[in-house]
Amino acid sequence: MTTALARLPFGRLTGGVNAWITTGAWTTLAFSVAVMAHERGAAHGADIVLVDTVGALILPLLAYGLVGVVVGGRSLAASGLSLVAFGAMPSRAAAVTIAVAAAACAVTGALLAAGVAVLAHGSADPAPAGDALASAYVGALGGGAYACWFSLGATFGRRGGGRALFLVVDWMLGSTDGLALVTPRGNLRNLLGGAAPVHVSGRVSSVALILIAGACALLAARRCRT
Amino acid sequence: MSETSSTATIVVESLVARAGRTALARLSLSWTAGAHAVLGAREDGGPLLLATIAGRVLPRSGQVRIFGADSRHPRVRRQVAYVPLETSLPDALRVDEALSVAAALRAEPAQDAGGRLAVLGLEALARRPVRSLLASEARAVALAEALTSTQVRVLFIEEPFAVMDARAAGRMAERLRARAEGGAVIVVATASVGDAGDLAEDHLLLRRGAVVRRGASEDVLVGFWQDGSNARLRVVLKAAADGPALAAALARQPHVVAIERLGGAVCARGRDAAALARAAARAAVEAGIEVAELRFDPPSLDEARAGAPLQATSP
Repeated sequence: MTTALARLPFGRLTGGVNAWITTGAWTTLAFSVAVMAHERGAAHGADIVLVDTVGALILPLLAYGLVGVVVGGRSLAASGLSLVAFGAMPSRAAAVTIAVAAAACAVTGALLAAGVAVLAHGSADPAPAGDALASAYVGALGGGAYACWFSLGATFGRRGGGRALFLVVDWMLGSTDGLALVTPRGNLRNLLGGAAPVHVSGRVSSVALILIAGACALLAARRCRT
Repeated sequence: MSETSSTATIVVESLVARAGRTALARLSLSWTAGAHAVLGAREDGGPLLLATIAGRVLPRSGQVRIFGADSRHPRVRRQVAYVPLETSLPDALRVDEALSVAAALRAEPAQDAGGRLAVLGLEALARRPVRSLLASEARAVALAEALTSTQVRVLFIEEPFAVMDARAAGRMAERLRARAEGGAVIVVATASVGDAGDLAEDHLLLRRGAVVRRGASEDVLVGFWQDGSNARLRVVLKAAADGPALAAALARQPHVVAIERLGGAVCARGRDAAALARAAARAAVEAGIEVAELRFDPPSLDEARAGAPLQATSP
């Protein structure tokens, strides 16, 4: 049942050019900035590019684009209507769509962050292999959390226009100190080595990202019950 | 239409639902196996009624039960197919893949896609991407899926002959009747009295979200016109100039209630279709007129509404 439900969102992801263009464009930008930082000889090149470029700009926009592709440019509920017509439970169809989006964003985020950590590696950065592994973990966590965050956004509006609102909210609240703890942006920044919201540890931010992802996925699936 | 709630497959009790400017006002009805028609314009609530029973629209109040369970129960969902005017198929898949997904979701064994589509003459669509289908083709594929599913026992169709692939339209009535005879509940919502008569055994006439008349096709059609007639025979003439003579001859026949001239044809109305046909034949022979065609015309929806009492009837 789950495999059958996943075929549609997976087909949207792999069958068209939109996902490849989105991923290719943002990856090229991230890697270009990483190479430039390395060429400049920045001592903390990987840290700087991961915090200021990947975490602040590229990962959110990449996840925003991929979620849009997975839901077919519609609202989350409408994206699964054709499966519901074949007898699927609407909330289950939505949950599987979110899972596909989260998996895609997590894998892309992990590869992107690991690649940037290697390409932008500076003299003061940790050893490349270990840094790439840690960055991949954070990239996966951030990508997955953003996918769930934007999936919840896609439950608002006839064509899922709430995604854009959630992007703005993440940017605004994620730039504050206290409320950043409830956004993917604030916790991702902390894990990538930037300023921590309300001075919480990296472990707390990891848990916060998992909680944000879980809560958003649950709420989004719940909002698609009918 | 003698089923009671306890034996009915679909039971609707005091259903109130709204979508946009269309509303259903405390509808109660029940359906057993067979082919049924909900007759009315879109704004009268036929499509909304089907969507609500199929679990696609949340009712504001009231109950919908299919096979004794809530219509949104997972077991029930798998057995219900709903083909609205704007059908949605899995857009990123091919038609054969979409049918395979449908079989998995309905928990039924996978069947050959070509064979499933062939029931409506659509086998050529099997390898086509769903995105490339015309709206009429997508609707026909959705209908073929429902007709060939081993799980589906309840099938709702909005305007079956509208936005429908020509190949499928030609075979649909026969296939739907076969499914109905096999024990399925088929319900069509249509504004066409002719389509309803072709497909269904009983009609439920809706007006502004309320049931105004219900019964077997022939009973519901009785008294569609204000003068009590229920059959309209169109006599198409070989020579249009013979119209006045035929009208005069028809006027002398005992079973003719009303006569109307329409270009090269004369329309006669009466209470009994067979008697009306005999009367037309007698009139043509008496007047020595050559007839090109005799055809019974169903009443239009407006005529049906005008002839129906306005108070709601119990199911």
